[in-house]
Amino acid sequence: MSAHSLSANNQATHTAAIEVSGLRKNFGRSTALAGLDLQVERGTVAGFLGPNGSGKSTTIRILLGLLRPDGGSASLLGGDPWRDAVELHRRIAYVPGDVSLWPNLTGGQAIDILSKLRGGVDNAKRSSLLERFELDPSKKARSYSKGNRQKVALVAGLASDAELLILDEPTSGLDPLMEQVFTECIREVKAEGRSVLLSSHIFAEVEKLCDTVTIIREGRTVEAGRLDELRHLHRTTVSVVLDRDASVLASVPGISDLVAQGTKATFTVGATELGGVLAALSAYAPHTLVSSPPSLEDLFLRHYSGTAADVPAGAAATQSAGAR
Amino acid sequence: MTTATLGAGGRHAGVQGAPAALPLSGTMTGFWLSVRFILRRNWLRLLIWAAVLAVMIPVVYDSQQQAFPTQADRDAYAGVANTPAVAAMTGLPYAAGSLGGILVIKIWMTLAVAIGFAVIFLVTRNGRADEEAGRTELLRSSALGRHAYSTANYVVAGALGVVTGILISLLCLSVNLPVAGSLVMGASIAGTALAFVGIAALCGQLSSTSRGANALGVMVIALFYFIRAGADLQSNGVDPTALSWFSPIGWAQNMRPFGQDTWWPLLALLALAVGSCALALRIETRRDLGMGLLPDRAGPTRAPAFLVQPVGLVLRLQRGSLIGWFAGAAVAGVFFGGVAQAMTNVLDPSNPFAKNFVGSSNSMLDGVLGIFVLFNGLLSGAFAVQCMAGARSEEAAGRLESQLAGALSRYRWLSAQVLVAAVGSGLMLLMGGYLTGVSSNGAATGGELAAASLAYWPAVLLMVGVMLFLHGFLPRLSISLSWAVYGVSVMVSMFGSLFSLSADVIKSTPFGAVPRMPADDFALMPLVVLSALAVALAALGIWRFRTRDIVAE
Repeated sequence: MSAHSLSANNQATHTAAIEVSGLRKNFGRSTALAGLDLQVERGTVAGFLGPNGSGKSTTIRILLGLLRPDGGSASLLGGDPWRDAVELHRRIAYVPGDVSLWPNLTGGQAIDILSKLRGGVDNAKRSSLLERFELDPSKKARSYSKGNRQKVALVAGLASDAELLILDEPTSGLDPLMEQVFTECIREVKAEGRSVLLSSHIFAEVEKLCDTVTIIREGRTVEAGRLDELRHLHRTTVSVVLDRDASVLASVPGISDLVAQGTKATFTVGATELGGVLAALSAYAPHTLVSSPPSLEDLFLRHYSGTAADVPAGAAATQSAGAR
Repeated sequence: MTTATLGAGGRHAGVQGAPAALPLSGTMTGFWLSVRFILRRNWLRLLIWAAVLAVMIPVVYDSQQQAFPTQADRDAYAGVANTPAVAAMTGLPYAAGSLGGILVIKIWMTLAVAIGFAVIFLVTRNGRADEEAGRTELLRSSALGRHAYSTANYVVAGALGVVTGILISLLCLSVNLPVAGSLVMGASIAGTALAFVGIAALCGQLSSTSRGANALGVMVIALFYFIRAGADLQSNGVDPTALSWFSPIGWAQNMRPFGQDTWWPLLALLALAVGSCALALRIETRRDLGMGLLPDRAGPTRAPAFLVQPVGLVLRLQRGSLIGWFAGAAVAGVFFGGVAQAMTNVLDPSNPFAKNFVGSSNSMLDGVLGIFVLFNGLLSGAFAVQCMAGARSEEAAGRLESQLAGALSRYRWLSAQVLVAAVGSGLMLLMGGYLTGVSSNGAATGGELAAASLAYWPAVLLMVGVMLFLHGFLPRLSISLSWAVYGVSVMVSMFGSLFSLSADVIKSTPFGAVPRMPADDFALMPLVVLSALAVALAALGIWRFRTRDIVAE
């Protein structure tokens, strides 16, 4: 893609903010990415979930042009992350999860350096962010705690007017109040129509903020799609107390993972069978019934409690049904 | 490394119940465990230092035995050995008529300075560097006494010196050198090592960064080396002068193995070692973990336009180091000039000692000035290597990642680093040479020596080229390998002829290739070759850097 067609792409709003398919990366003999897919549409907040060492940071470093992929394709705002790195970086902001600062410079100086490298700093935004995150910019970076170093990177990133924010576990080390501030800031970014890739461990954060979620494991995408659709595809957990021994439920079609103890029972049921199951339940005169929708955490744990080999058959189908 | 520390921290909890090895108060709990841990983490480099230094004894002894096979040869050498070059670089040749004395001339100073560097790097690595990285905090949070780890660090570094000294003595004995001299030889090296362990311990407490601690330690070595160089140049004959007692290296020299075999200066070295370590531990008690002696003050909240330029940022990050190097080069330049003037007394044609081996006093003065200019070149080379090592440190610490995530190309970032190293080293050469000239009281003009110094610029740039090449192809090893290349180049250019290397070999190393003006005539060819090599290596390294992964540690 030439520089010319790159700028043509900038105007085309239909190109995705991030488009990664079949991405591979090896470090020596160990495989970091084994065909990873990731899609972030413009104007959306995309969650990027995976356990430690699953390849989230490697993917992000490839998107930043810091690492070279061994295979597959990656495109960032319509450009090539390696070849067009400098041009693309004017349009993105990056917040690393483990912020390393110059120990003998102050936080304020580091913010200015990092923002100016991107193109410029919006002074009003900068000072309002400093206030909201309660960061003292006159302290030397070596005296900052992990949370405060994280705030430096967040202020530098959020003070920009970047089209795309790439955030790698941005709230690690922040206290709950500051997490709240962060949530507000991301909502503002989204309201302005900008895009965000949010790699995270915190399910509540992702559930609160993200439109789409990509879950990866051992360098592969195992689940991707809109959060509400993903929920829909998964099973609701139901707890009931019946007027008789709950083991009768074993014969009801559609019920699985049944745990019956006296009159109490807990089981899961798929979205399509829910109506039939409820009709069957009414015959046993339930005293109480609690149903909880599948949380992202359930979704996540479902994928990670199994072994690497049994990637759910539905994953590929979900992907195509989800984000696209 | 972090995982190793974690592992030890974890292991430590398991052996809590073991009785404390030292019956001191709780501050020493876990001392032996710390010793074992430091040995575990450093055994390879300890082994390499001890083996490389000790093995020089039989190697150099053998070469000297071949060079001076008969007593008549040695007596002839003794008549001409006391040149200013030998006095300035390796000390006074007080026993040049014996093989032991020749061995001392050829190798003693190299061993003493090298073991000084070894213990300074070792003490910093296991002391301030760990504290800076937060590993000390992890260790101290377990049942480990406040001083246990630091003391273990000093003891291990001291043990390296003692073991190296013992090996040197044994190897001297194995080639049938006199017993008394062999023992003093090993003891003087071990004593030097112990004195520098104490100095390194203090440096590690005073500075709050490992880079600062190493820089401070290296400056102290350089200072003590130059003091004794001046002292030995002052000497009229082979008797030590009073000035030599102002440097611990001088104390160790004055033990005079295979000469007078004096033992008592060893006591002074031991006293310095014990006193400095005790003071370091006292400072450690009084200060907070992670801090130096000076508290951090609030700084500016905004970065000026200068700082947000890549070059400005490099200048700011290297500010302390730049000031240190330029101040060091200025002091060295003035000192060299002053010594050169003092030399004129020795060079008095009526002085029988000088008349013995110099045709014209002029060429001898030029020879001395040539050595001083070489020193300027070596200092500037060390600055350039350290400056470029700062580039790799940015990458290793993960700070390069944040910069490249902005709209900064790899090429621009690296250019800023190279610019500061290249221009800085050039200015340092000019300044050092000029100051040597103007303070020499007419032995040479400032302009002459500034030009002579600048002739070393291509050699210094070659060091930058080597670093760029390694930074491109072997980033993780680039800093240590660059220092190794620099160290070997220094050794060969300063001591090559003493090692009986041929002139061709010396001329094929970076600093040896440069015409040693004003003693030698200017020659363009070597400078062109050095520059071409520097550019080629730099181009390869930059090309590779632009296509490789960015690797943090």
